[in-house]
Amino acid sequence: MNWLRLISIASLLLLLVPVFVLLYYGLGPFRDAAGYSSEVFRSIELTLFSSALAVVTDFILFTPLAYYLARGNDRVAETLVDIPISVPHPIIGVALLILDSPVTPTGQFLLSIHINFYNTILGLVTALVIMSAPIYVKSMLPYFESKDPSPEEFATGMGASKLRTLFSVVLPNSYDGVASASLVSMSRALSEFGSISIIAFYVLQYPFYGVSPASVTIYEFFSGNMAGGLDAAVTASAMMILVAIPITLAGHLVRKRTGR
Amino acid sequence: MRLGEFQLSAELQGEGVICLAGKNGSGKTTLLRALAGFVPIAGGYIVVGGANITDYSVEKRGVVLVTPFTCFPHLRVDSHIMWGANLKTLRLSNESVSRVKSGLGIDFVGTVGNLSRGMRQRVSLATALLSSPRAILVDEAFLGLHDREAFISVYGKMAKEAGVDVIFSSQDEADGQLSDHLYVLNNGLANRKN
Repeated sequence: MNWLRLISIASLLLLLVPVFVLLYYGLGPFRDAAGYSSEVFRSIELTLFSSALAVVTDFILFTPLAYYLARGNDRVAETLVDIPISVPHPIIGVALLILDSPVTPTGQFLLSIHINFYNTILGLVTALVIMSAPIYVKSMLPYFESKDPSPEEFATGMGASKLRTLFSVVLPNSYDGVASASLVSMSRALSEFGSISIIAFYVLQYPFYGVSPASVTIYEFFSGNMAGGLDAAVTASAMMILVAIPITLAGHLVRKRTGR
Repeated sequence: MRLGEFQLSAELQGEGVICLAGKNGSGKTTLLRALAGFVPIAGGYIVVGGANITDYSVEKRGVVLVTPFTCFPHLRVDSHIMWGANLKTLRLSNESVSRVKSGLGIDFVGTVGNLSRGMRQRVSLATALLSSPRAILVDEAFLGLHDREAFISVYGKMAKEAGVDVIFSSQDEADGQLSDHLYVLNNGLANRKN
């Protein structure tokens, strides 16, 4: 008997218990119409939209950082990248709130140039970027490290800067790595609750006026602030899982195809 | 030039085509990587084309390292061979580009990633030559070419015409016949043979 395999499968099932429970009860005994109402679908829409924007931002802003870490030897920077996800997530929400508060100098400045995080899509996306970027960087890092540096050395030898080399030589040959890291970090953004429940409990902007992110909506059902209660919370959770699973699986499939 | 960590000392002098011969593990690649600026040197200096490039960054050295894996797979052949020249905004005549292509046997088209290894090496070597560097360091990239000796001869001739020095590594001292100067790396020392 392969005990290692047996123990591994048992521990995996343990991890998946919450998912199975929610799918079973949410689509079965606890099914509640409020859990798949238009409000829930608008929430999921907002979550998908903001997570996608966050991932695009991750790609633009953090791909150079991942490349720098992969080709450099900056252990301090590599450690610092982990900080946002190693602190309780509401802290990030509080930080953004203070950063953009009218009672702080930074907030006064940001508000004077019309940058407002509180209950806006910008605030929601900013929080999601901070929470998903470390995952993106940590996914891209081993991908870049695994790539043969010869073409990059060839390019820099001909006079290309490291940034030029990244965009002209490395990225055109890294679609699979970028796709995989983006899907993984999008999965992370979809699941965020702590920070966004503080900075963007709901959004007061077109086209999502009054809509809360999916995780907040589920919490609202659970806490009784929205009609439906626990049954609706479980049903909405099952809906969210059905949306998130294909994205997670796609990330896994791309990663498997690239041999990582 | 001394490479502290690897206990390798080398004093290479000469213009044109230099063959760096040595057994596996003798330090040929390390020496070429040091010349290109990818391995720090513990002492000495590097002068190429009259310029002391010892402290120059890789981008500023004007020294291109070509290995069998240096190509850009996403580019098409013609875009590839012009890559370095375009980067430096060099104006090359169609005639000079065609001459390099025909001289190096580049009579094929397509995406570089889909070509054979030998074809990719030809493209990479042509790219390096057309980018007009001070020197081209060829680490094993002449291996696997079906017309290797003739290719090295033509490549060396074109490089000389362009004022570019070429240093290539080889495991066979007999390759010294294809070069203007031969250095043999042995026991951490580079000895000049011709």
